[in-house]
Amino acid sequence: MTTFELTPPEAARWAARAGLVLPAERHAAVAAVADHIHGVVAVLRELDFADVPPAAAYRPTRHAAHPAGQGPHDAAV
Amino acid sequence: MQPYELSLTAAADAIRARRLSPVELVDSVLARIEEVEPHLGAYVTVTAERARRAAAEAAHEAARGRYRGPLHGIPMGLKDLIDVGGLATTASSRVRADHRATADSTVAARLTAAGAVLVGKTHTHEFAFGLTTPQTRNAWDRGRVAGGSSGGSAVAVAAGAATFALGTDTGGSIRVPAALNGAVGLKPTYGLVPRHGVTSLSWSLDHVGPITRTVEDAALVLTALAGHDPRDPASLSVPAADYRPGADPDLTGLRVGLPRNYYFDHVDPQVADAVRAAVGQLEALGARVVEVDIPMTRYIKAVQWGLMVPEAAAYHERSLRTVPELYQEDVRILLEAGELMSAGDHLRAQRARTLMRAEWERLLEQVDVIAAPSVPMTAVGADETTVDWPDGTVEGVSDAYVRLSAPANITGVPALTVPVGHDRAGLPIGLQLLGRPLGEPTLLRVGHAYERTRPAPELAAVA
Repeated sequence: MTTFELTPPEAARWAARAGLVLPAERHAAVAAVADHIHGVVAVLRELDFADVPPAAAYRPTRHAAHPAGQGPHDAAV
Repeated sequence: MQPYELSLTAAADAIRARRLSPVELVDSVLARIEEVEPHLGAYVTVTAERARRAAAEAAHEAARGRYRGPLHGIPMGLKDLIDVGGLATTASSRVRADHRATADSTVAARLTAAGAVLVGKTHTHEFAFGLTTPQTRNAWDRGRVAGGSSGGSAVAVAAGAATFALGTDTGGSIRVPAALNGAVGLKPTYGLVPRHGVTSLSWSLDHVGPITRTVEDAALVLTALAGHDPRDPASLSVPAADYRPGADPDLTGLRVGLPRNYYFDHVDPQVADAVRAAVGQLEALGARVVEVDIPMTRYIKAVQWGLMVPEAAAYHERSLRTVPELYQEDVRILLEAGELMSAGDHLRAQRARTLMRAEWERLLEQVDVIAAPSVPMTAVGADETTVDWPDGTVEGVSDAYVRLSAPANITGVPALTVPVGHDRAGLPIGLQLLGRPLGEPTLLRVGHAYERTRPAPELAAVA
């Protein structure tokens, strides 16, 4: 799935940019797992989301109930 | 029959009728823990002294005519992600070695107020980030996995080492171990049970719920747990309700969705047969089976990972930088790799969740419940990491156990696992019932009706 595989030095550099210093002996393993995860989630690029917003503030139902302080008319669904 | 063998419902009836005292019940469960714990490893901590004091108080209250309800004097185990004031919440991790909870979580406080007696904190796969709980052994076969991440809770309930327990469920962590140990497990609707004071794995997927011997038991625990708490931002404003199902097993008019795709793909034939036989029982009770198509199945795993991985990495950001060596390797590397996921990937997962929820809403207009396997195969050997399917596919054990659970975490719909038999090796099989948001009364009614067609469940022998 992954077209551009992350090399161990790249994984180390990306992690360092995120403030996480990885010991050298972990670079290869972290790169491999990160690539695997990337391969799993990359399939979502097939979807045409158009104007669909993210469901970050999660609502299980729009009719029966709503979190305190928020209206029942949830624009997310 | 010993008191530890009683279901919650039966124990509650006996306590209310003064045929059993909370002291007798708690002592019996504590003795059972001493007997089986060396074989099972379900508990991080057993709070025997505290439990005996609480049982004596419960007995004293009962003698004075104060009966708090069906949980009065009932021994419970809490997954060790759930705060109990004064005790460590270890998350079964060395990272939390020096932890001490300063206050009760909402669920612990509600259960204590309802009269339940804590007998101990149960093992979780470290920080709930896994599906096997390696510290704990399956209640039916010590060479098999307990399932996870609420493995300790499910094993304790299945073995009689707790009358009920709580678990958490982010990708099946209540339903998977409950199914693998022959217990009932309920993942409630997202937001129905407050998570304040419960260690998070992934905020937008986490749920707390009961693991019990029977569906009726789960209903009694849910009644005590549900209700709004402003300290959990996802908590729903729903009125208090009594979830105990009625006695009438008639399911006439109920539409049961039987998936044509996904839920029976890459499923052990013994599991599929047992689940289809259970659906046949529902038909015999009057339900009408309707074949349904599960939407967007190609994207389920991607959405689950796209949400869970970066949320977990965010939760552990600080300790991953200060004490990374204290994590188990399987968890540490997922957290490290999770730091490398892009915001774009996370947002795509959130947008796909919007689409998936809308599709499931349409699906659940066609039927009242969906019936499916809880897990694709029974408990695997403790040293197995992959499962081979007949078409040549090789799947990771954890991936397989999450696969049929994830849709209910992503969509937030309630899901109940009910034991429906054993495979030829004697390992339990679970039926999963999924309902509409806040459709717990329907799920519990169907599960209870099914249960009444079968002999009373037996505890695992734990030889």
